Amino acid sequence: MSIPRHAWYPVAASEEVGRSPIARRLVDLPVVLYRSTTGEPVALEDRCAHRPVRLSDGVLDGDLIRSTYTGFAYDPTGACVSVPTQEQVPYGAAVRSFPVRDDGSFVWVWAGEAGLAGLRTPPDTSLLRTDGWTTFGGVLDTAAGIGLLHDNFCDITHVAQLDRAIAPPALTAGPPPPLEVEVSETTVRFWRRFDAAPVASWNAQVLELPEDAEHEQVEEGEFVGPGYWVDRWTVDVKGHDDRDGQHVFVFSHALTPISATRTRHLWRVSRNFASSAAADGTLKPLFESYYARVGEVLEQMQTILDEEGPRPEVAVAADAAVTHVRRIMQRMVADELGG
Amino acid sequence: MTQTAAPLMSEFEADAVVSGLDAVADDVVLLTLTPSDEAHLPAWTPGAHLDLILDGADGEVVRQYSLCGSPAERDRYQVAVLRTPDSRGGSEAVHRLAEGDRLRIRGPRNHFPLVTSPRYVFVAGGIGITPMIPMIEEADAAGADWELHYGGRTSQSMAFRDLLAKYGDRVHLVPQDQAGLLDLQAVLGTPAPDTLVYCCGPEPLLKAVEERCRDWPSNSLHLERFTPKERTDDGEDTAFEVVLQRSGVTVQVEPGVTVFDAMRGAGVSVLGSCLEGICGTCEQGVLEGDVDHRDSVLDEEEQAANECMMVCVSRSLGPRLVLDA
Repeated sequence: MSIPRHAWYPVAASEEVGRSPIARRLVDLPVVLYRSTTGEPVALEDRCAHRPVRLSDGVLDGDLIRSTYTGFAYDPTGACVSVPTQEQVPYGAAVRSFPVRDDGSFVWVWAGEAGLAGLRTPPDTSLLRTDGWTTFGGVLDTAAGIGLLHDNFCDITHVAQLDRAIAPPALTAGPPPPLEVEVSETTVRFWRRFDAAPVASWNAQVLELPEDAEHEQVEEGEFVGPGYWVDRWTVDVKGHDDRDGQHVFVFSHALTPISATRTRHLWRVSRNFASSAAADGTLKPLFESYYARVGEVLEQMQTILDEEGPRPEVAVAADAAVTHVRRIMQRMVADELGG
Repeated sequence: MTQTAAPLMSEFEADAVVSGLDAVADDVVLLTLTPSDEAHLPAWTPGAHLDLILDGADGEVVRQYSLCGSPAERDRYQVAVLRTPDSRGGSEAVHRLAEGDRLRIRGPRNHFPLVTSPRYVFVAGGIGITPMIPMIEEADAAGADWELHYGGRTSQSMAFRDLLAKYGDRVHLVPQDQAGLLDLQAVLGTPAPDTLVYCCGPEPLLKAVEERCRDWPSNSLHLERFTPKERTDDGEDTAFEVVLQRSGVTVQVEPGVTVFDAMRGAGVSVLGSCLEGICGTCEQGVLEGDVDHRDSVLDEEEQAANECMMVCVSRSLGPRLVLDA
């Protein structure tokens, strides 16, 4: 599928961008990222206007970035401000500069018409910086198109097929309760409420509850935009005294289309309980290995599509969320292409 | 019947507070709505509309209004509503609202999206200016070449004149009592390449613009209706069968019953709002069969493409339809 460009994409974690230039790709565009002396993020096309060399291989000089091959220096707007061989800067010498925002968790870059960036806002990621929530995460470079990742997040029933150890037993206890899907022009949200059931043993361990204790659980997912997806799993603990309350995992997925068939996936797992490093020690390896497995399957899907081409898929009723997310993405692309 | 595993579909809904109520022209009120709790309002794009769920004279009234603020403002929605004495009670109910009142909102959805183009001609009649306000902001920000031709009864009846002043001579205000009707021959008489025409306003204006754009390249004209298009055929409805592919359900649609009702009767959750073919909420993908399109959302080409249908009003020309539902 083609990819919307009029969207904010989380090309890097905020802490990845600093006073050493880094290279990223966004829908086949090379982007160099760095921070100015005042800490503002800068995103420029990562290709010198003089010779085909990467600016990300260059050095910072105050707010400027200078190619260590051509010596051309560019300011944060992308304008070339000095060249080594003459006083006069050639007229119009510049590289493209991208609208960029740093929300404290991710650095977002706008790939489309620059003038429109101000009329759209990046997704709200404030939960990742809210007191009372403990977050860990990782990054995957997945050789699969962003559409395959969205399809995957739309439907978590595959978790039980893929990884029995991590899957909540509620998923496999019987026919799942009906999925509720809520849509708007730009968003899709879904949820499902499970009757009381045990939680996975790793989950009981971090909750510090007996493995056979049963709790009502809620699965939620939200397509916030082409570059951001949020899932939640809530365990409603009752009758366990000071353990009672809603114990919530929030899974945030920051997605950047590197190309039509490659996606950078920054994932974050947040929880509002068990803030200890010991709990991190239990959880982190589980999720690292789970997301790596998901990535492998998505890469296989992309390989199959590349080698054999797409085929009409048999859809099931539970694909309502997938259908709406695809429709939103397709319409964004169609409206951008015009005609 | 066995219980289907069909998902329960709904649109975003929230309680909103009237946080602003400003007269912006004769009989036109600009309503500012903010969420009553910490709910995040979904993002929208120019051309989107919102349902207001109002207390009408005879109970609940659901009305659609185009969003006329800026998509950059994420903490509020704005709609401008003309008081129309002959309306079905929606606009009167809006004009009765006071600051601090609460109402239910639903949506937004968009069946009038602004498609990227190097050049636009916007044509607005009266309160039809509302979707054009964010469209103009967007076209201008994108660096497109554009012009607005905006007609109204009198200068005082035309909302957003002040806001439009900053765009200078791209904006052509045509109050009828001073300048007569919009000169559509001058504006649209010669088809222009790479130009999209966006029109919203009363039915006679829409009809006239449709007529003027017959010679324009296909897909040039985009318009939005407030009221259902008049039906030209009035034949007897016939019964037909609808196969809901994903759900694995087949339903019979009898004369006098809509596809929408038949689907819901079979336990398949389908979204619906206006139920008269103007809001586009109930759109379903068509996999097989020929649709008898009776909506006011799809243009002629979209109807001919036979790829989707509005199940609240449209029916089948043949004995069988297969829908992606």
